[in-house]
Amino acid sequence: MSTTNPQPDAPLADAGTPVDRARARRRSKHRRRLANVAGLMASLILTGSLYAVLAPAQAADDVTSESAAEAAGRELYERSCISCHGENLEGVPNRGPSLIGVGAASVYFQVHTGRMPLVRQEADAPDKPAVFSDEEIDQLMAYVQANGGGPTLPSGDLREGDLALGGELFRLNCASCHNFVGQGGALSSGKAAPSLEGSSDLEIYTAMLTGPENMPVFGDNQLTPEEKRSIILYVQTIQNMADPGGAGVGRIGPVGEGLVIWVVGMSALLFGIFWMGSKA
Amino acid sequence: MSTRDTRPGSTGGDETPGPLHGGPDDDYTPEQLAAMRREELDLLGARYDGVEILHVDPGPEPGSAMERRAVRQVGLTFTLAGVSAFLFLVVYVGSGWFLPEWSWTEEGTVWSALFTPMLGLFMGLSLVLVGAGLVLYTKKLLPHETAVQDKHDGSHFDRVTTGATLVGGYHNSGLPRRKLITRSLGFMGAGVGVMLLAPLGGLINNPSRGNTLGQTAWAEGVRLLRDDGSPVRPGDQEPGSLETVFPAVPGGNRMTDAPTMLIRLRPEQIESLRPREGSEDYGYGDYVAYSKICTHAGCPVSLYEQETSRILCPCHQSMFDVTQGAKPVFGPATRSLPQLPITVDDEGFFVARSDYPEAVGPTYWNRERI
Amino acid sequence: MAARTATAPGAPTTRLGKAGLEIDDRLVVAGPLRRTLNKVFPDHWSFLLGEIALYCFIILLLSGTYLTFFYQASMTEVTYDGSYDPLRGIDMSIAYASTLDLSFDVRGGLFMRQLHHWAALMFVAAIVVHLLRIFFTGAFRRPRESNWLIGVVILILALLEGFSGYSLPDDLLSGTGLRIMSAIILAIPVVGTWVHWAVFGGDYIGELIIGRLYIAHVLLIPAILLALIAVHLLILVKQKHTQFPGPGRTEHNVVGNRLFPTFAGKATGLLFVVFGACAALGGLVQINPVWLWGPYNPAQVSAASQPDWYIMWLDGSSRLFPAWDINLPGDYTIPALFWPTAVLPGIVFTLLLFYPMIERKLTGDTASHHLLQRPRDVPVRTSLGMMSIAFYVVLLISGGNDVVADKFDISLNAMTWAGRIGMVLLPPIVYVITYRICLGLQQHDREVLEHGIETGVIRRLPHGEFIEVHQPIGPVDAHGHGQLAYGGAPVPKKMNQVGAARRAVRGFFSPVEEPTAVEIEQRAEGRGLSAGESERELTSSGRPSEGGRPSDGGRPQDPRD
Repeated sequence: MSTTNPQPDAPLADAGTPVDRARARRRSKHRRRLANVAGLMASLILTGSLYAVLAPAQAADDVTSESAAEAAGRELYERSCISCHGENLEGVPNRGPSLIGVGAASVYFQVHTGRMPLVRQEADAPDKPAVFSDEEIDQLMAYVQANGGGPTLPSGDLREGDLALGGELFRLNCASCHNFVGQGGALSSGKAAPSLEGSSDLEIYTAMLTGPENMPVFGDNQLTPEEKRSIILYVQTIQNMADPGGAGVGRIGPVGEGLVIWVVGMSALLFGIFWMGSKA
Repeated sequence: MSTRDTRPGSTGGDETPGPLHGGPDDDYTPEQLAAMRREELDLLGARYDGVEILHVDPGPEPGSAMERRAVRQVGLTFTLAGVSAFLFLVVYVGSGWFLPEWSWTEEGTVWSALFTPMLGLFMGLSLVLVGAGLVLYTKKLLPHETAVQDKHDGSHFDRVTTGATLVGGYHNSGLPRRKLITRSLGFMGAGVGVMLLAPLGGLINNPSRGNTLGQTAWAEGVRLLRDDGSPVRPGDQEPGSLETVFPAVPGGNRMTDAPTMLIRLRPEQIESLRPREGSEDYGYGDYVAYSKICTHAGCPVSLYEQETSRILCPCHQSMFDVTQGAKPVFGPATRSLPQLPITVDDEGFFVARSDYPEAVGPTYWNRERI
Repeated sequence: MAARTATAPGAPTTRLGKAGLEIDDRLVVAGPLRRTLNKVFPDHWSFLLGEIALYCFIILLLSGTYLTFFYQASMTEVTYDGSYDPLRGIDMSIAYASTLDLSFDVRGGLFMRQLHHWAALMFVAAIVVHLLRIFFTGAFRRPRESNWLIGVVILILALLEGFSGYSLPDDLLSGTGLRIMSAIILAIPVVGTWVHWAVFGGDYIGELIIGRLYIAHVLLIPAILLALIAVHLLILVKQKHTQFPGPGRTEHNVVGNRLFPTFAGKATGLLFVVFGACAALGGLVQINPVWLWGPYNPAQVSAASQPDWYIMWLDGSSRLFPAWDINLPGDYTIPALFWPTAVLPGIVFTLLLFYPMIERKLTGDTASHHLLQRPRDVPVRTSLGMMSIAFYVVLLISGGNDVVADKFDISLNAMTWAGRIGMVLLPPIVYVITYRICLGLQQHDREVLEHGIETGVIRRLPHGEFIEVHQPIGPVDAHGHGQLAYGGAPVPKKMNQVGAARRAVRGFFSPVEEPTAVEIEQRAEGRGLSAGESERELTSSGRPSEGGRPSDGGRPQDPRD
């Protein structure tokens, strides 16, 4: 930590200063230490395999040799994607962007959430049931990754992080569009930040990594993989958490509450006094 | 008063009955009142208060099916209200004793998620039933009477006599003649009034002292830090990304006017970049930095749409175009977001080149002059 | 005295009676108490609206006092270490931390917090509905202008009270609201910065504002509210309640129930029902989950940040108002924010406050009124009211236009433009429509008075023409036209309303009465088509312009039966 750090980040920096908190967290600390080792191993393997994947991919630009998955991916690409993204992933003006360099992560997010293939041009690409099977998505990913590289899928437990830190980062970076609890919100001219309800960990991760559509990109130097996992942990925890105070009315704040006070509260009382005023 | 009065302080004691309270007590002797039935007394009192009972719809006949049914209803309502109240107590007291723990741990247990709803359900039910029982009782078991009460307009007699007393007092005080007293009274009133209000002056501060208005902690050479305190390098962000940065001063990430958006533009955005006049060189490479505080009402704007280059404020939906110097393109905001001139220091970290050239945040009367 | 009363006739013999005598000997309350118990209150459901607001206020005082036992109004930063996992270890103000503790570590604390918040929303809602009832029935007319003024001031104070309470938890949502409030204060021309420095003790946000809002919320405003409500009620009791026109009701009397026991029973019942409704909402529906919002941080914000519903219309007006800063010579500026957030409510509340005087000036009606008006009989006022409601609702919806846009998949820009256009266009349209409806209803009343009630019985005349038989409400003249003047009271429009149908046999699931007995009873009462009702006199409202409007003669009439 630099000396100019205005607010040392307690949860990450030293998890053990207050005694009781340390006790409460001892178990998760053990788990995290184990996970750190596992994470290190995983990232080593990942880096190795990434290099293995990337290096040949770049070398193979002009070489015709493709793996079986890439070939299958090309076939799928030529059947479903080529009309908008072009013959060589270079994009078609006014129809679809170039896919060179978007990486497997982007393909995963777009195809797995059903945003691609697009039905028609709209302000937003709506999410819908995925058209391709998981295997086909793998093939498409391999094909796009092989032609231009880009961010790849993460591995390991995507919820391995700090809950409170995740909340802080979520409120700083994500809540402005996706709302306090990930309910989504409106953007300009008919666009909208989607609700995170029901999104898988990997979808959220790849979305942050690639910045689909109007979402800004959160590269690994900006939000470290650990911070991304913290955010995912927070989002999923909040989404799955029961409401301690009764019905959540959409968790959208005063609009829902105002609706309830008039439609339920005031209406019930009006009915009540109407009954009181009526003759027996 | 009386020569028989031997004990001081007992004057007007019980030995002088005299006229009672006047009014009806003169008209009705205790003997007459004692001879009247309770109902008659009730009506008599009501008539004395200007109330006439026009019509009484008696309640259900005692012992009739209707009465039994109404009594059952009311009784059942009150009983259920009691049962609900008891259930409330059971949940409130019993949770964590003979019922599961109510307190919230981790993601909450089923019981802790049901605790508050159950309290509300039972208390609400209980109180609504108490109310409903009372209303049922009045509606179904009490006689319904239609009463008329006269409305008294103001009495001329009262007005005249009260006026005479008031004017008399004022006249006797001699104030109309004693001008010195009225004038000194007025002077005194004003003086004392202002004196009593004067301590509120402690609330008043001079906004221009200390120059906090229109200035932020940004200055030449101040690094751009993330929320966790780490500095930012030009290579850290991908094109089409936004990072909220704070000045590298103590407490910088809690300053209300300092939050800044560091945006890395995409190549297409750079092509269409039309910065404001005079701030063409404020950016660094494909990076630009704008104040995060909306120029409309001060909310943090950070709904950044990287494809359309728009920044949206979630409070009042002002939209700013990043490629046009964060100029407002829709909504109630009138001014562009101020741009922070940035560069990179010797160690390769982003620093500010100066403070914002204009005041950050919402517009105010003399903003342009600061 | 004691010697005399002990032997006097009518002296109390029961223990209760003796106790009463002891009390009255000391306090002399029998007279005032009897006058109070005998006080007549008119019975109409809409007269209970103000009571709902009153009871909400009582609930707010009680639950609010409870909350002060736990809440700490301090902006000092602490690190949270309570039960709620996702925030543990985060820096926050003591105000926010104590709100979390109240919600998660105090048994029933969350319930009380939510009860308080719901009661607050209900309080303002009840005041608004009560105000509408007063407005549309003309209950604010002389001699009740003073009570109208007090009522509007209570409404304004309730809004301030609500906003200050909303800001106390110092969460991200209310902090954003406070940020906007700071901008609104800054936007006041000339003195804006000075006022801001006085209110916040310096630049936004400082360390004082939560403490100041707290004392305003728990002491200053409630004390003024309490005093005003007391005066409001005293004046009501002194002036006696208004009533709708009807049989036997005049400007100089009140027809209804005596306070004791009927009215007292219902009022107490309503107190419990209101309390129960707030409690049920407080437990069953989550409100302001501050743990989800997070602590206030000036760099953070959430999509769909709104104030509570009663301030939402001002948020809406800020969203709709165009970007019009006024630049004055000398580099001075009147910010655009000033108009929708300070000038607009200023105009709205001034108009509202002085509406009784404005109407008195315009109509020249300076007489005292104790009988209410039906909204249809005063079409201009009714239309003005509906027009204002339309304006208000457009602003209210615009205050949540991002949520509407998101949930209904409408463009945000389109919502803003719809609000901007609707705010200008909708009120006049509503005015015209309301005016027409009022006139139509008026005419229908006159029509029924003149021609009688449509019975639905079709009869064929000897020459083959079909006519519908009409039942005259009162005596008719030689042409079969009714002679009753309209008296400002509801006119029966269906045969059942004049007793054509016998009363239903009581009992919900199974009859609790003998049907034949009911029939005999009905016959004995002489209830029938015209028996009772024809003797009923409709009183005049005292407005000559309304009484006995000449019928639209010359129109082809249905032949009488």
